[in-house]
Amino acid sequence: MARYIGVRLLAMVPLLFAIAVISFAIAVAMEARGSIAGSVCGEGATIECIAQVERQLGLDDPMPIRFLRWIAGAATGDLGTSLTNESVSVASLIADRIGPTLSIVTYSLVIGVAAGMAMGIVSGVRPGGAADRVLSVVSAALIAAPGFVLAMLLSWWLAVQWGWLSPAGYTRPSESITGWIRSITLPAIGLALPTVALVQRQLRSSMTNALQSRYVLAARARGIRRTSLIAEHALPNAMIPTVTAIGFRAAAALGLTFTVEVVFNINGMGTLLITAIQTRNVTVLQGSMLVVGIVVLVVNLLVDISYGLLNPKVRLES
Amino acid sequence: MSDASTATAVSAQQPVRAASARSRFWMRLFRNPLTVTAAVWVTLLVLAWLWPGLLAPHDPYAGDVTLTRTFEGPSWDHWLGTDGQGRDLYSRVVFGARFAVNSILIATVVAVGLGVPVGLFSGWRGGRADRIVMWINDVLFSLPIVLLAMAVIIVLEPSLPSAMLGVGIAMATRFARLTRALTLSEKEELYVDAARITGLSPSTILRRYIAPNLLPSLIVQIAIISGAVILIGATLSFLGIGAKLDDPDWGVMLARARSDFRFEGIWQIVPAGGALVLTVLAFNLLGDGIRDSLGRDAANSSLTVPRKVALPPVVQLHASSAVLSIRDLAVGFPAAGGMVNRVLSDVSLEVFPGETLGVVGESGSGKSMTMLAALGLTPAPGYLSQGSVSFDGREVTFLPEQEWQEIRGRDIGVIFQEPVAALNPALRVGRQMVQSLLVHTDTSRSQARVRAAELLAEVQVPDPERRLDQYPHELSGGMAQRVGIAMALACEPKLLIADEPTTALDVTVQGQILDLLAEVQRRHEMAVILITHDLGVIADAADRVLVMYAGQVVETAPVSTLFSQPRHPYTRALLDTMPQSHRGHGDLPVIAGVVPSAAAWPDGCRFAPRCEFATDRCRTSVPLLEAIGTDRVRCVRHAEFEFGPPVETTA
Ligand code: SF4
Repeated sequence: MARYIGVRLLAMVPLLFAIAVISFAIAVAMEARGSIAGSVCGEGATIECIAQVERQLGLDDPMPIRFLRWIAGAATGDLGTSLTNESVSVASLIADRIGPTLSIVTYSLVIGVAAGMAMGIVSGVRPGGAADRVLSVVSAALIAAPGFVLAMLLSWWLAVQWGWLSPAGYTRPSESITGWIRSITLPAIGLALPTVALVQRQLRSSMTNALQSRYVLAARARGIRRTSLIAEHALPNAMIPTVTAIGFRAAAALGLTFTVEVVFNINGMGTLLITAIQTRNVTVLQGSMLVVGIVVLVVNLLVDISYGLLNPKVRLES
Repeated sequence: MSDASTATAVSAQQPVRAASARSRFWMRLFRNPLTVTAAVWVTLLVLAWLWPGLLAPHDPYAGDVTLTRTFEGPSWDHWLGTDGQGRDLYSRVVFGARFAVNSILIATVVAVGLGVPVGLFSGWRGGRADRIVMWINDVLFSLPIVLLAMAVIIVLEPSLPSAMLGVGIAMATRFARLTRALTLSEKEELYVDAARITGLSPSTILRRYIAPNLLPSLIVQIAIISGAVILIGATLSFLGIGAKLDDPDWGVMLARARSDFRFEGIWQIVPAGGALVLTVLAFNLLGDGIRDSLGRDAANSSLTVPRKVALPPVVQLHASSAVLSIRDLAVGFPAAGGMVNRVLSDVSLEVFPGETLGVVGESGSGKSMTMLAALGLTPAPGYLSQGSVSFDGREVTFLPEQEWQEIRGRDIGVIFQEPVAALNPALRVGRQMVQSLLVHTDTSRSQARVRAAELLAEVQVPDPERRLDQYPHELSGGMAQRVGIAMALACEPKLLIADEPTTALDVTVQGQILDLLAEVQRRHEMAVILITHDLGVIADAADRVLVMYAGQVVETAPVSTLFSQPRHPYTRALLDTMPQSHRGHGDLPVIAGVVPSAAAWPDGCRFAPRCEFATDRCRTSVPLLEAIGTDRVRCVRHAEFEFGPPVETTA
């Protein structure tokens, strides 16, 4: 297993490089479309402002030098300073904003995967049965509904009407653990609902296949009990494709947290990115893209590891 | 054995007349009311895209200048109410279709335009170019679509078309994968058939061979991504980096509703939210509908319990010393139009302690189905429609699953063909063996493990301790079959059912396995049912033989009689195909044709289409299983035949 993880880690290096190049290239492409300094400093741009922005970006230097300088800085945690406020470092901005985003994504994945697996097992054990038909309709509806619309409905009913959970804002876990959970529960549920549907669908079909397999028939012919057939024989095999689906969903959920952050007035990576896009704040954009890209890579790594844990063939033959 | 004079033959259902593939596709597509509803909704969407003015009574941009008619609920004037600027929500929703359909068009054109050529190039070129292209493809594929769209928005400017350009690039990765896979498989075939490839230009190959196969998959994929594209477009508009703030785009409308709704109630999100959800749902349902109509039907789970049917009370008492006795067994499968295909009918057999009953027949003759049905393992949606089964003097035909679990694995052991597939790939060999032992015996986990190692040693598995820690894919076929045998014999069963235990194994291993079984049988007075299509195996191991064809027993006899004096033309034909009886030159004779599927069984003798002795009488009258002493034969002309032992053909 250690060897397998090692191979996966090595495979990440070129990916990391690709993400760094893409993040950096974004700024280059923006420059090509017009003076960044001009648009950052606004209509009445002072010479000082423009000079300062150009200094921050090091626009005078050749491209490879700039890339190397940026990447060297990034490696030591220095992503430059925000173009709109020179006293704030990009790294501290991101450090400040990534907490809420990661909390919501992780929490939503836990809820979504747990509920989706339960539903998928029930459906897959007896496809076409009454429970399966109901659950499949629920899934179809959840897949069609964007998380932010569900989140809006939820926040209306549960927070505004009944006052159960906080309708907006984010409480840091360092301030209050219960407050933290209360503040991210609704956004997490909103984001989790489509996850539930995706996991249910995938697990339903792979569970159905696994239960039709020869090894389940053989186990049944040995007198193995039904619960064991489902939990010990079918589920581990059915989870292999499901883990891949969960991985894609995890990456997608990261992009979609931005919407629930907006709905619940939470200052996370989403609001940071959107403001940066609207103000053409290049340093913040580069840094945020890089960090989000790295998070996606880590998610993929975790998926690969669980894939290896479930699938002895992959683990042993790497 | 069933009394021959009362045996009734059952004619199989005639197959439904085959419609052409294309019309069957449309029939299936529109049989599903959900798909039809979805198609209607998508049609409305397209109408709204083409002529929104026809459907919308108001200007979607013109608000109420006096600002008195804002945040209204549904009324005669404004069917879906008005927004914060007094604009008609219904009209805005209708005009929103423009943005939705435009989004789909841009994203699809970009995705197909980029993805398909990349996939074609990668699949066709192969080698290093393929690896590099697919690596880049997979990197893009693993990034969140919203993030890719954002990257394009950053580089260009926040607008719906630039967002959709990003979405299109992200979606192109899927089309590239799909196209590459199809190109690869098509290329394989073309190279096998070298004649087809010489002299053809790549564009001809593309047009003639690849495009026709690609098109259906592309259509399904487009329908499926359309829903996702609309969702992502709405998401980006909602975030303020898609459509413009004034546009009647559904995402923008939701963003407005979001900033207003704490004061004005929930209604504001209903029109745009509803339109969005219904449209995405419609595309998803349409995609599912098209895919299902193109593909095969969803199958049922093997855990589904066989359906119980009303049977006449069982009158015969199975008062004999037989370990397993099957009487007049029939298994039906529901077919189109409320019909039933009876894949087995009138199957009767008995097997006694210490005896080996060989069951032979080509694949499709119903051998394996008989055994599964006898064990209460009839695969759904099949069900026992007639007959009774008794095991060890006990009626087990409709035994509840819980009681069956006690018998299976303890009193009856089963060896499956394809030994590796019969082992769970995700579980270590030891865990699977220990689990079976724990179910039937009162031992601790560690004792069971010791016993498992002993069992493996008994079936001559070298280094059993190490094997217990291995996974099935690490075993050879012969080794996996030994594990299967060890598990089947773990509780010293009274009956062993071995379904093609030696197929797919090489000849030396075959012999070893058969010897092993014979030895265990001697030690425990075990009854064995040996299912095989290989008459050589039967000659070596069986005492009595039962020949099956097309779901029926056609002959039973002691092994010596069967080989020296076959009575049924099918048996004789099988004997002629044995390598031992064919010492001449040239090809081994085969029985022309295959066993027809249950839906195509003829009314008269089921072997008639392939029988060299068939007459008109065979095609009209149904042969019954007649008794000749203790043997049985099912052929209207059997009295006329006098087949000797298999002839030694000379080329
Ligand atoms: S009944 Fe006629 S067709 Fe059938 S096996 Fe006998 S001879 Fe052949």
